[in-house]
Amino acid sequence: MKVSLRNIGKKYEGREEFTLKDINLDIEDKDFCVILGPSGCGKTTLLRMIAGLNSITEGDLLFGEKRMNKVPSKDRDIAMVFQSYALYPHMTVYDNMAFSLAMRKEPKKLIHDRVMEAAEVLQIQEYLYSKPSDISGGQRQRVALGRAMVRKPAVFLMDEPLSNLDAKLREHMRVELVRLHKALGTTSIYVTHDQVEAMTMATKIVLMNEGVIQQAGIPDDFYNRPANIFVARFIGSPTMNIIHGSMDKGKFVAEHKLIKIKPSEADAKKLKDFEGKKVSVGIRPERFDSRGEYGDTFKAIVDTVEMLGKEKILYIKLENGSELVVSAPGHYEFKEGADHSFGFDLEAIHYFDSETGLRIN
Amino acid sequence: MSGLFRKKNSLYLSDNQPLTVVGMIGLVVSYVILLSWVVAILWPLSQMIMSAFNGKQAQYLMSNRNFAFSWKHFQFLFSETLYLRWVLNTLFIAGSTAILTLLIVSFTGFAYSRFRFKGRKASLMAIMLIQTIPAFAGITAYFTMHSIIQNYAPWVTRQLMLILIYSGGGIAGNTFVLKGYIDSISTELDDAARIDGCSNMQVYRLIIMPIAKPMLAIIALWSFIGPFMDYMLPAILLNRPQDYTLASGLFTLMNDFRTMNQPAFAAGGLLTAVPIVALFMVLQKQLVSGLAKGAVKG
Ligand SMILES: Nc1ncnc2c1ncn2[C@@H]1O[C@H](COP(=O)(O)OP(=O)(O)OP(=O)(O)O)[C@@H](O)[C@H]1O
Ligand SMILES: [Mg+2]
Repeated sequence: MKVSLRNIGKKYEGREEFTLKDINLDIEDKDFCVILGPSGCGKTTLLRMIAGLNSITEGDLLFGEKRMNKVPSKDRDIAMVFQSYALYPHMTVYDNMAFSLAMRKEPKKLIHDRVMEAAEVLQIQEYLYSKPSDISGGQRQRVALGRAMVRKPAVFLMDEPLSNLDAKLREHMRVELVRLHKALGTTSIYVTHDQVEAMTMATKIVLMNEGVIQQAGIPDDFYNRPANIFVARFIGSPTMNIIHGSMDKGKFVAEHKLIKIKPSEADAKKLKDFEGKKVSVGIRPERFDSRGEYGDTFKAIVDTVEMLGKEKILYIKLENGSELVVSAPGHYEFKEGADHSFGFDLEAIHYFDSETGLRIN
Repeated sequence: MSGLFRKKNSLYLSDNQPLTVVGMIGLVVSYVILLSWVVAILWPLSQMIMSAFNGKQAQYLMSNRNFAFSWKHFQFLFSETLYLRWVLNTLFIAGSTAILTLLIVSFTGFAYSRFRFKGRKASLMAIMLIQTIPAFAGITAYFTMHSIIQNYAPWVTRQLMLILIYSGGGIAGNTFVLKGYIDSISTELDDAARIDGCSNMQVYRLIIMPIAKPMLAIIALWSFIGPFMDYMLPAILLNRPQDYTLASGLFTLMNDFRTMNQPAFAAGGLLTAVPIVALFMVLQKQLVSGLAKGAVKG
């Protein structure tokens, strides 16, 4: 089922500002769409609007071609996994999973088959007759997934379902969820604030901040072609370096004049209109050239070295004290306090308009 | 490891730490306090039981060294007084009060907890304030109301009036209590139920009510016990002995020297406990709370 949002806005009762504004989004059939963003940016609000649990203040929500704004939750053919799982405490795991089908008066036989099928996929057969209070967090999480699965809904909604699991289990469930999605092919909308979850699971990422979509697209674009400075800094760890400066005679000159970059030919064309204007340069830590063999090099002191095994994170300081983060292969030798000269991989430089924060090249 | 060969029943299985000496002394002290408390409750009770069964006891309840077991006070109760009638009256009033209170409080508690509407806060405050005025204070109003109502609807008897007063008086406080309990149940459960296909009524009936059962059981028990304990309202409002409740009926065995029979009063009081204990046993399982555990992550 294709889900489309047209100019959706949300204002909560008793709030001055719109929580969400002008959300335009197309989620194709069979997509695994991850809504990503910092805490409080309105991800849950958006998901609950799609689920019909919050009203839509303005705009249209379409499932396929049908407008869903006023359709009650139960008629939207959706299933949702809540951040807190929301299992019914007085029912057994089996009854929890059977509940939605029982409410729709499906035959007993079909309900049983569906529950058993889901239980097998999720490997929860052993405690089908336990109460939710008697099973572990990870098991509850799977029951919550199972409860959503048995319905075979057209759209699958998940609100940070992995946020309360430990790191190992989260990693495992991430893979499981992707496998499940591949097997079922249900259009899924998944909310998280964890960029690793987004990058690994999504076929489409929607990054939000302060109620506005910053960028929507495939994970690769988020890393290699961030649409603005916010996206550039949100995705990737360690964070992308941003250097503020301006264009001077076709060259980028940093505010502190210690860094000068001559853009590649393709970038230079796009930067033509910005001559004399403020421009910010973004460069990922791993795209520095630590041997400094290329043209525009700069000198810096290696301040701190973090050894992560396969790579080293260098915190380097320029003469005026401003700091940059560089990642280098783990087998390179760096001495703390040593002078070093660094260059740039010109193909990997992101240019942003400092005024608007938008990408130029 | 020797632990491997230890016998099963010698394993320490409790989740509590083993007792220390201080803990042991504390335990003894607690038991002493509890035991004296038990004595304080049981002594008068035993006196009452003794006189109820004491055939040597006449009219007045005095410490009496002579004891002869007999059922005669009970016989008196059933043959010479309207005791059975009073029991039925009380059961009817108490049962109706409990059911009516539960029904109304279910709606109001759920609504106040889950819905946002104009005047929600104000009306909740008003309810609390009204609650501080005892039901008895409105006695003259009840009288007038009753006489007016009876002009139009003669079937509203004084007993029905009493039921309305009891349940009306209980609604305010119980709404507050139940709202508090339902507030503690995650609204995500409602949302999940709604997506699963429940209407508002079904959300309450299938999800909230079973979780709130311990609180509902307590409310039912309280409203049921109320009419057993109250003497004032029935004594004033009910004017025919055959309408009396247990409390007002039994009191005629105490205060009116024509019908005075104090040992029979003791016997009647003893029997009064039976329906309450029965209800308590039925509700016992519900009264044990802790169901809401495990609804959410943890
Ligand atoms: N019921 C509500 N009434 C009023 N404002 C609300 C309500 N629910 C959320 N908000 C506000 O809307 C904004 C977005 O909240 P939302 O829960 O959607 O954030 P989120 O992106 O899911 O955050 P998190 O990652 O912490 O879960 C917040 O500023 C919040 O205060
Ligand atoms: Mg959220």
